[in-house]
Amino acid sequence: MNVALGQLRGALIEAWLALRTRRRRALIAATGVALSAAMLSCAVVITDGLGGGFPRAVKAADLGDLIVRFKPQPASQVVRRIAALPDLSGYALRTEVTDATFAYRGHSTTSGVAEVVGSGRRQGYAIVAGHNLRGSGHEVLIEQGLATAWHIKLGDTIYVRYLAPERVVGFAEGPDDVGYPLAAPRIYLSRAAIDAQLGRHSDPEVNFAEIWLRNPRYLNEVLVQARDESFGLQDLQFATRSGVRVLIHEAAGIVIDLLVALSVIALATAAVMLASSSKAEVQRRLRAIGIRRAVGASRSHVTLTQAVEAMIVTVPAATLGTFVGWVATYGPGDRLLALLNEPGPGSALALPLLASWLASVAIPVAGAAWPAWTAGGRAVISLLRGADVKRRRRSSRSWPRRMRGHGDGGGSLTGLGARFVAARPARLVATSTMLACSTAFILLMIALAATLTSLETDPQELGKHYELTATLPPSYASRVAQIPGVQAAEPRYELHAADGYALGEIVDVVAYPRDHTLFEAPPLASGRRLRGNDQAEVGVGLADALGLAPGSRLLLALPSGQELRLRVSGTVSSLDEEGLVAYVPAAALLAADPSAPSQIAVLLKPGASQAAVSAALTRLGAAPQTAAGAVERGAPLVAVLKTILRAVAIVDGLVCIYALTQACALTVQERRRTIAVLRACGAGAGAVRRLLLGAVLALVAPAALIGVLLELLLLGPALSHLAASYATLQLRANALEILATVLGLALAGILTIWWVARSAVRESVVTGLAS
Amino acid sequence: MSARRPESDGAGAPMRRLTRRQAIGGAVLGAATVLGATSLTGCGSSGRSPHPDGSTLYSTWIDPLGDGQLQVGPGEPLIDRVALGPRQRLTGELARIAHLTDAHVLDASSPARVPFLARLGPPVQSTFRPQEALTTHVLNGAVNAIAATDPELVIQGGDLIDNDQNNELENALTLLRGGLVHPGSGHDGYYGVQSAFDPDPLYYRPDIDAPRHPGMLTEAVHPFQSAGLRAAWLPVLGDHDTLVAGELAPTELTRALAVGNRALWQLPTNLTLPAGLRLNPSGSPDGPPDPEFVSEFLRQALAGPTVLVPPDSRRYELSFGEATTRLWSGADAARQPGLAAPSTTPGEQLDYVRDLGESVRVIVLDIVRRDGGSGGLVTAQQPGWLAEQIADAGRRWVLVVSHQPLLDATGGELILAVLDRSPRVIAALAGHIHRNQILPRPTSAGGYWLINTASLIDFPQQARALRLFATAGGGVALQTWMLDHVDRGRLGTFSRELSYLDAQGGRPMGFRGTGQDRNVTLYRRSVS
Repeated sequence: MNVALGQLRGALIEAWLALRTRRRRALIAATGVALSAAMLSCAVVITDGLGGGFPRAVKAADLGDLIVRFKPQPASQVVRRIAALPDLSGYALRTEVTDATFAYRGHSTTSGVAEVVGSGRRQGYAIVAGHNLRGSGHEVLIEQGLATAWHIKLGDTIYVRYLAPERVVGFAEGPDDVGYPLAAPRIYLSRAAIDAQLGRHSDPEVNFAEIWLRNPRYLNEVLVQARDESFGLQDLQFATRSGVRVLIHEAAGIVIDLLVALSVIALATAAVMLASSSKAEVQRRLRAIGIRRAVGASRSHVTLTQAVEAMIVTVPAATLGTFVGWVATYGPGDRLLALLNEPGPGSALALPLLASWLASVAIPVAGAAWPAWTAGGRAVISLLRGADVKRRRRSSRSWPRRMRGHGDGGGSLTGLGARFVAARPARLVATSTMLACSTAFILLMIALAATLTSLETDPQELGKHYELTATLPPSYASRVAQIPGVQAAEPRYELHAADGYALGEIVDVVAYPRDHTLFEAPPLASGRRLRGNDQAEVGVGLADALGLAPGSRLLLALPSGQELRLRVSGTVSSLDEEGLVAYVPAAALLAADPSAPSQIAVLLKPGASQAAVSAALTRLGAAPQTAAGAVERGAPLVAVLKTILRAVAIVDGLVCIYALTQACALTVQERRRTIAVLRACGAGAGAVRRLLLGAVLALVAPAALIGVLLELLLLGPALSHLAASYATLQLRANALEILATVLGLALAGILTIWWVARSAVRESVVTGLAS
Repeated sequence: MSARRPESDGAGAPMRRLTRRQAIGGAVLGAATVLGATSLTGCGSSGRSPHPDGSTLYSTWIDPLGDGQLQVGPGEPLIDRVALGPRQRLTGELARIAHLTDAHVLDASSPARVPFLARLGPPVQSTFRPQEALTTHVLNGAVNAIAATDPELVIQGGDLIDNDQNNELENALTLLRGGLVHPGSGHDGYYGVQSAFDPDPLYYRPDIDAPRHPGMLTEAVHPFQSAGLRAAWLPVLGDHDTLVAGELAPTELTRALAVGNRALWQLPTNLTLPAGLRLNPSGSPDGPPDPEFVSEFLRQALAGPTVLVPPDSRRYELSFGEATTRLWSGADAARQPGLAAPSTTPGEQLDYVRDLGESVRVIVLDIVRRDGGSGGLVTAQQPGWLAEQIADAGRRWVLVVSHQPLLDATGGELILAVLDRSPRVIAALAGHIHRNQILPRPTSAGGYWLINTASLIDFPQQARALRLFATAGGGVALQTWMLDHVDRGRLGTFSRELSYLDAQGGRPMGFRGTGQDRNVTLYRRSVS
């Protein structure tokens, strides 16, 4: 034990002394570790915070397995129906009052939602601050999102129309819907307290039931029976827990899943960077290790010293980086979760962050110790040769000759820099891989940020490809199609029908004469696209409500009084109307209702001017309209998401610069003598910069190429596929985005050249020659 | 010391006081049941096989987790009920009988069915059941279970069929006597509301909806062979045997619908009925529907969307005369030993008496309304006729059977008054309400048991086995236990599963009854 302690003490002293002599380098290494740790920490916060948001919310709120909304019915009748369901574990009834008016100081709404809840333990919402309603007095619960937006504090009083001023006793999160401002502001009131104010109802009317099952596996069986028990109910809507999740994700856009996926990529990138930089550090210090081995240090001692030295650098750097990453993403992440009515991970995040910190420490330490261990096993003479290229003699002879043959040697110097880097193939591959990953990652984030922005206004991102609609008769379609800049134009029929089974569902029926996917193609969730005039594609919301699946029959009651009977060919993940959508052939729709309202949907050619086409449409007598976006009240959400993306992108960019600088600095360090010879022969700072340009190009050029290809061929399509449950997203970067990213890399390269060249020329030629 | 007084035995009836031995036995049994259920819970699956003869004394179907999924559980041993007499030693078997009722064999492809009425909710209900295409298979399984008990006599307690159709009765009678059963109608295939091509989500469609059973409907209408009861059986007339949907006397319109090719699957939209029209003008829930109401309803309904199905003349609706005559002849009742003549000709009223040797007399009462309505209606002649038959029974013990429970029938109190005076009456058997139930009816003459047996169409889909024993001291004991149907294929199991899930069916309605309503020994003291 004492021997071990003694060895450790010795290693500590030695490592400390070594670091003191290389403060600047240690600082650079620490910066790299801190950046990687920050990135890892960002990834962990995003993954754990957002990815686990809904399950956490479900657990905290004890969200029911089945939620049913209907026109108000006496509670006793609803109870009888629910009690007849199989697999029933419990239920809660509410009266959901929409268009409720309430006000707080300068804020007010006339479109709020007041949930009048009963007294049961299970209510389907979580109290995140304060306490639950006690069923007496003037108490109200406020949704967390509303409290944040309106700056309501516990103990404040809000004014609810028809009621006395109500005191805010708690903040709640109900994961059955997204929060304010993504959805209408919501408050919770106790039925008993309302009764006390407005008079007691022996059998109050309710319009909302939340149902818990003993075994959620049998939810579909219960749904079938719930439909069976729905006789006489109007405006019936079923939502399952998984359905709620889909709805919330629809409301939040696709970005949650994308961010989770991005964080995984960030994790991988960080790991590559940490490992390669650690290995490079040891490679750079091979000669020092050789000296220590020559004076009698054991292999394990060398390894221990290296590990301790790495730890001294890594532990504070990783701690700082983890903290910075947490700070950068936790706040926005929590705000995003609050918008989705989902709780933040809170203290539960500590363990994943600790693991992230440990990884940030362990990877560089292992990365430093393992090369030291392998290096320690090599012959001392080999170590003393240092980290220079193997064919040093031959190479060193040829380079000055080439330089002489080419005058100032500019071209050759660039090539020489490239060869310096290429002489270390492992390092080249590791650094280039990391840069390629980062390039792809940054490209993806740029594409995603553009998507996020357009999500607010551009319907194409949500499966609608047409840009304009024109109120013209269907016969004008061919004339519109001939307008310059128009790729295609067809009549788009749209009307609202009712389901044919008295369930009270209102269905948005959309029809095109030909292939509707040219104009709008929400992604298929199951089955296939419609083929033939007797088929329909239905939104998943409608499929859930009516128990539809590919192969089953759809019956719609049209406003004309006619019925439309079609076979379901597939279900689509449409965001419109909460998925209560049916795409049908125009021939079938017009056969049942020849007067179905229509517009002309206009699809523009790429790059065509929307204004010019609009003007042409106006000349035809139409009132062109830009197709409406589907994300309403989404600005806060998008803003938060952009903040998160920005934070991650900045960290990634810094990591990129660091890795490039490290790789170049390492190369320069290894080639001190060669550079000193060049400078002795008259090469100035410009020549050194040209040499570094070659090194940077060798690292950046393949990385940029691989990164772009990685994004175009793998990441973009993969994440588009991931998002396909929600929307049709084009996440492949366009030329402009690629150019911007490559320019960014170039800028990073210029910064690297400037920084490393400045350091290199500071060293005297004599010192370099003596090294 | 205070005098002993009877204790409550459910529903306000007197109940026996448990002896210490019985209490300990009950506790041990309860503990065993709990342990059994716990082990089931732990395993997630019982791992048991149902008893091959369907006797619930050995095994029965339970839902240990309360999640709507049935598993085979332990059997239910007999419980002593002593409200009408003390527990005594059994000295000899007097009769071995089975009671099956409310099989509701139906033609699920028939255009005369009115499944859409189910969505009106109470009081109209059970016009559609998710398991309705499988009634022949369930009856076949019940026949198998009953045959395994080797009864002397089987009482078919009424509602053998569901919709007063010829092909339903043909299938049901074939099932009881044995032979090839053709469950479908029209061309080969299934043409009912449960087809996958029916877009209406309010009907359970086994090819689409959960629990999914692809191919179930095709299998359900495939002809199959029935072994038959292999025992004498007695027909009891039920309302569904002679009335459309158990409510309506056939009309020209319903007769045309039954054999035609237009089926009504949906509730007519914008239904408007003349003001003042009432489904049931009598005010009684069991009274006859107003023909004018029905006629107007069907007229409007047929003006709306209908579904084309293959026509089939075999689906014709039966008259009262034909229904009773064919039931009578189908049971070959006239040639059974011990049969006393019916009170009237079989084509009109199905009241009759059947003696089982010198020990037991079974008296069958037909209280089905002829003018429509599902409730029982006692005619003016029946109490007197019944009193004569009981008096004529001599020292025989008497079982009285009707389809509708006497307690609920109009005029039922007159019948009960006759029974109350009769010391040899030991039980009144009935069906109709689809519920297992056993109530003691103590009277000065010694009292008797009002026994109701569950249906075969709704959960628990059970028949009842009965054994009458003489006991020491001159009394009798009626042992009775339930029989689960044992269909050799999978369709019977599907039917039980679906009937259990059915939110308008036997599970939420508690049709299985309590332990006191199923496997019991009913003691009846001797009264001289």
